[in-house]
Amino acid sequence: MSLGSTQKGACVPDLSVRIGKLELPYPTLMASGCYGSGEEFEPFADLSQIGAVVLKSVTREPRLGNPMPRLVATPAGMLNAIGLQNPGIDWYLDNEVAKFAKRPCVVIGSVAAFSVDDYAYVTQRLAARAEIAAIELNISCPNVGSEGETFACDPDLTGRVVRAVRAVTDKTLIVKLSPNVTDIAAIAGEAESAGADALAVINTLRGMSIDVHAWKPRLGNVSGGLSGPAIRPVAVLAVYEAARAVSIPIVGQGGIENATDALEFFLAGASAIAIGTANFTDPRIPIKIVDELRAYLAARGLRSLRDIVGKANVGFGSPFQYEGDVG
Amino acid sequence: MLAGPSVRDVVVLDRTELAPGVVLLGFYAPELVAVTRPGQFVMAVPPGGERAATALAIYEAQGERASFLFFVCGARTRELAELRHGDKLSLTGPLGNGFTFAGARDVAIVAGGVGIASVLLPAQMLVEAGARVRLFYGARSVDFLVDRDRFATAGCELCCATNDGSLGHRGFITELLAAAEDKPDLILACGPSPMLRATAFVASELGVPAQLALEEAFACGVGGCWGCVVPLDRASPQAPKFPKPAGDDGFVYARVCKEGPVFWAHELRW
Ligand SMILES: Cc1cc2nc3c(=O)[nH]c(=O)nc-3n(C[C@H](O)[C@H](O)[C@H](O)COP(=O)(O)OP(=O)(O)OC[C@H]3O[C@@H](n4cnc5c(N)ncnc54)[C@H](O)[C@@H]3O)c2cc1C
Ligand SMILES: Cc1cc2nc3c(=O)[nH]c(=O)nc-3n(C[C@H](O)[C@H](O)[C@H](O)COP(=O)(O)O)c2cc1C
Ligand code: FES
Repeated sequence: MSLGSTQKGACVPDLSVRIGKLELPYPTLMASGCYGSGEEFEPFADLSQIGAVVLKSVTREPRLGNPMPRLVATPAGMLNAIGLQNPGIDWYLDNEVAKFAKRPCVVIGSVAAFSVDDYAYVTQRLAARAEIAAIELNISCPNVGSEGETFACDPDLTGRVVRAVRAVTDKTLIVKLSPNVTDIAAIAGEAESAGADALAVINTLRGMSIDVHAWKPRLGNVSGGLSGPAIRPVAVLAVYEAARAVSIPIVGQGGIENATDALEFFLAGASAIAIGTANFTDPRIPIKIVDELRAYLAARGLRSLRDIVGKANVGFGSPFQYEGDVG
Repeated sequence: MLAGPSVRDVVVLDRTELAPGVVLLGFYAPELVAVTRPGQFVMAVPPGGERAATALAIYEAQGERASFLFFVCGARTRELAELRHGDKLSLTGPLGNGFTFAGARDVAIVAGGVGIASVLLPAQMLVEAGARVRLFYGARSVDFLVDRDRFATAGCELCCATNDGSLGHRGFITELLAAAEDKPDLILACGPSPMLRATAFVASELGVPAQLALEEAFACGVGGCWGCVVPLDRASPQAPKFPKPAGDDGFVYARVCKEGPVFWAHELRW
């Protein structure tokens, strides 16, 4: 359980990351759809100590969202089927976006759509706003019939949508991939060659839960997206495989709850991480992770988080001794 | 100015099992007591816990001690039920909009099972303000009509119902409400959703406004994920002011944790 102590050396390790044109002071993003616009969590977490908030995905038209229930607790995680409830881009630009300027952290917009044209349209309008530092393309939402996710499940469609969006903005473009695919490396490669600046890996896994007393699916939408620690090993592998296929940075996510989990993602090849479901356990977790990462690096005499990205070593030998979990 | 909601670790003071699986958990939280309004809740989790926090109503709030009254029905409540004196507990809150009852003179409070946890604070405040308070309290059996003496001592008139007839009326508590002699001017209710739906029906028959405290499944508890929704009349002052989507039929999904957990019965479209 040893963390080492940061006071030991004079040097405080550098946790800043660069994602496309974005410079973030911390490698911790708050995952889309889990953190509102940041405002909801402001009383409970010092937003100036997180890397960025990724906003809830917005679409061209307003959406009612899925029928209730939308949430089910499952072993080591949860299923959600929100169905992209949002006010649509017009209302969003007029009533919401101006407020984001007040956030003491970087704000990244998230765009969802059902056609290549709509992805480009919504991105162009949202990216034009100064309050939005970068765009995450949610081409992997599992909760809107088959339409939303098909983009991230087909290399050709991924390429088309990323090219169309690349053409309408110079801002940093993060493409969020789905784990519900046979070969994530192929999709990752396609997104990179189409002009993505970074990848978010992974969105939720599709799942279902049934009430055996009522003989009914527990979610109003029947199926939902699985998140939380249950999906972590799937996510670590997806990051590992995607990182070998591309040279752009990866925002790793899926079940990260502490610094040990985060380190798995960095070692697998992620340059930054996103935290979603863990905020539902304790909103102080992202800040604790940053403190523990700093201590981990300092204890090993490492000056920058960048020194460990993708360093998971296959084969014999390790520069370090096993010391148990971090933090 | 009073401080707003926050996240903090608190220490457990006492734990009592009032009935099989029904736990009363007291903890030291003077700051929480100072800002809590009746009908509000907190998100609670043992620190370092692996699971998402659980939404629990604030049952008692007096001086330096607040408490939860909960039913052990799954992994998270089981974990909370294992806490003992001196253990720590991480709390986010108080959250949500509570009951509003200013000016009410004759109030019927309807509680089913551990729904009782949401109604002690409003009952106490109403009695203190000089209102007549009738508690319509229903449960499986007499053993599960927990802590009813406290309500009697607080000055409430008690009407009880049990499924097995072990105390009071045999049947549903809403049947007693419908048969009540004089009409209350306000109804407050918390309990399982079939009971709340029945309460909404009885209230509309009686022509009495009713506020229902809902208990949907929560994830974030603070309005960040849109997971905990109920369909609400667009005209409700509590409704999110989103534009109408295509095929709109007059309702919008509102977050139970943010816009609620208390809603006017006649504005729900469930
Ligand atoms: C605002 C609010 C206030 C609440 N206050 C209280 C309270 O004061 N005391 C209390 O005991 N509970 C309260 N609840 C309900 C409580 O949050 C859940 O019972 C709890 O989250 C269950 O967690 P679990 O992991 O133990 O069970 P889970 O694994 O989540 O659920 C176990 C089983 O219980 C069922 N279940 C879950 N929640 C409910 C529910 N609300 N009603 C009926 N069945 C349910 C599930 O369908 C499942 O079958 C409140 C909920 C909300 C939203
Ligand atoms: C309630 C909920 C809502 C979500 N909504 C979105 C969304 O709107 N857009 C999106 O790209 N991802 C969404 N996600 C996926 C998360 O951003 C994240 O990628 C995923 O949950 C894995 O991380 P985690 O295990 O840390 O939560 C949502 C996840 C949850 C739990
Ligand atoms: S539980 Fe997240 S919005 Fe209510």
